[in-house]
Amino acid sequence: MSEQPQTDAEPLYIGWQGETAPGLARFVRERVIAVLLVALGLAAGIAATQAPFGASRFEFGVERSFEGQIELSPYPMLIVDRPGAENTGGAPTSRWLLTVFGKRGADSAVVHLAGHRVRLTGTLIDRDGVTMVELLPESLVDLGAAAVAGAAPAASTPATLQGEIVDSKCYLGVMKPGNLKVHRACATRCISGGVPPVLMVRRADGTARYVLLVDADGAAVNDRILHMVAEPVEITGALSRLGDLEVLRADPASYRRLGSWSPSPEAP
Amino acid sequence: MGHTYQAVQWNPQKKRYDQLVVGGVLLYLAVFMAVSAAVFPEATLETLLIRGLGTAALVLLHIILSIGPLARRDPRWLPLLYNRRHLGVTMATVAFLHGAFSTLQFHAFGDVNPIVSLFTSNTRVDSIAQFPFQPLGACALVIVVLMAATSHDFWLRNLSAPVWKALHMLVYVAYALILLHVALGSLQTESGTVTPAALGLGAVWLGALHLRAARAEGARDREEEVREAAAAEGWMDACGVDEIPEGRAKVVVAAGDRVAIFRSEGHLSALSSVCQHQNGPLGEGRVVDGLVVCPWHGFQYRPRCGTSPEPFDERVPTFRVRVEDGRVLLDPRPLPLGTETDPVPVSSAGSSPA
Repeated sequence: MSEQPQTDAEPLYIGWQGETAPGLARFVRERVIAVLLVALGLAAGIAATQAPFGASRFEFGVERSFEGQIELSPYPMLIVDRPGAENTGGAPTSRWLLTVFGKRGADSAVVHLAGHRVRLTGTLIDRDGVTMVELLPESLVDLGAAAVAGAAPAASTPATLQGEIVDSKCYLGVMKPGNLKVHRACATRCISGGVPPVLMVRRADGTARYVLLVDADGAAVNDRILHMVAEPVEITGALSRLGDLEVLRADPASYRRLGSWSPSPEAP
Repeated sequence: MGHTYQAVQWNPQKKRYDQLVVGGVLLYLAVFMAVSAAVFPEATLETLLIRGLGTAALVLLHIILSIGPLARRDPRWLPLLYNRRHLGVTMATVAFLHGAFSTLQFHAFGDVNPIVSLFTSNTRVDSIAQFPFQPLGACALVIVVLMAATSHDFWLRNLSAPVWKALHMLVYVAYALILLHVALGSLQTESGTVTPAALGLGAVWLGALHLRAARAEGARDREEEVREAAAAEGWMDACGVDEIPEGRAKVVVAAGDRVAIFRSEGHLSALSSVCQHQNGPLGEGRVVDGLVVCPWHGFQYRPRCGTSPEPFDERVPTFRVRVEDGRVLLDPRPLPLGTETDPVPVSSAGSSPA
């Protein structure tokens, strides 16, 4: 068996000896520098060609005080006043979805406050005009029963929508990306933990539309849709408005997976 | 080599090696984060950290898997192989951080134990496009962490060389799992071409390197097998005396094993070419200060009896050689460990066995 092509001029490298022969050291140095440059080039290339990150906002570390009326159904929300909005043709109130720290919904934190006005401290999450607040349960102050009850859902119309089921907390801003397969596990945990599930529908112009998902009776569907999260689905049901939010009533058993994978990356 | 064990037997080479590895990883992460932040100011730190650590670990794994076959082709790469264990431990640490941050990000603070969630949150095993990619990465991580944890010579000795070697060959299983982890994960949602191109080129590079090394080894072994088959029972014609330079060895295959016939100060001695430490190619080493030195990690053996100098206790089998008419003849039957043989002068013209 022939040996490697060494010559006597090439000294044997013995690692535990103090120094490396100059010629060998130069050979190694040149290769190490080349490998390092390739690695750094890869780092820059991979970093620069990532898919765009969503223009969403999560004010991590910033706590603000909010006041509004708690609504529990179909998912915990805070109805906040929009002073002056009527003068510009807008709705007088907005519905902000509520959540708490972690992959959890806010049900247990606000269940005793249905229909009450409250003051609370929390962190804003928002995207495309849809707002959520990660509230600090210990900050809730009950200001008493509200004078005006929350609005009942408006009349519905039949609709068939295609989109991706996302958890509202991550997609609206806590995580980037907050959708597609890489985020499926997290979305599953969030929805399983009570975070409101939303059907994200991509319009032809690339903008997103968010539709809250409930069953045919208007109840939360979280534990019945976990197997459909983060992939293209088609849902046929009754579409209605709840204030400034859209709600789609449909039996989760009727949700249909779309066969082909058509990724809808984050909108810039 | 040590009869006692230390976590790391530091020397200047190892210190330089480690400084370079750690510095390189930090530089890689700095470049990844800085470019990401510049191009995507809206990106979140935790996502960039997960991606930076994951790609850094993958780059390190490619370097680790390249060093072996490169050193087989050109021994000048051996200085990088010498301390490869530290490269592996660094890679495992970076991969662990990637896995830990990912598990924290995607599975913690929910209604299920994060580890349980890791393996149960995606059940679409019926679909290639939707196949759960995170458990694949988790399995690869278990392998590389297990390898890093058992990389010390203490484990080599206590697990036995065959078990240790088999365990560490699992790095190729880990590599395959990581390829699937990336291909079925981020590649499905990323639109860039650099990552898939780099992953593909990396696989082709490693495949070609290993194939070429295996072919070269196979060709040499076949050549020797022909020679071996031609030999009658007992002594085999190994090579000509002139084929063995002073201080070097000729490696032949005898009875299925590689045997190194060393020439030292005009005398021939034959011993197994497989270093007892990590099965290194002893026959590609040299005789330094009267001792055969393995080119991988510098383990030393006495040519005449195959034992390491005290206080070390490694031993490799020795073989009998003799010289006839300028040819070196070898008895392919290994002698019991520690058997003394008399080195045979290369000028010997008789037929007395060593």
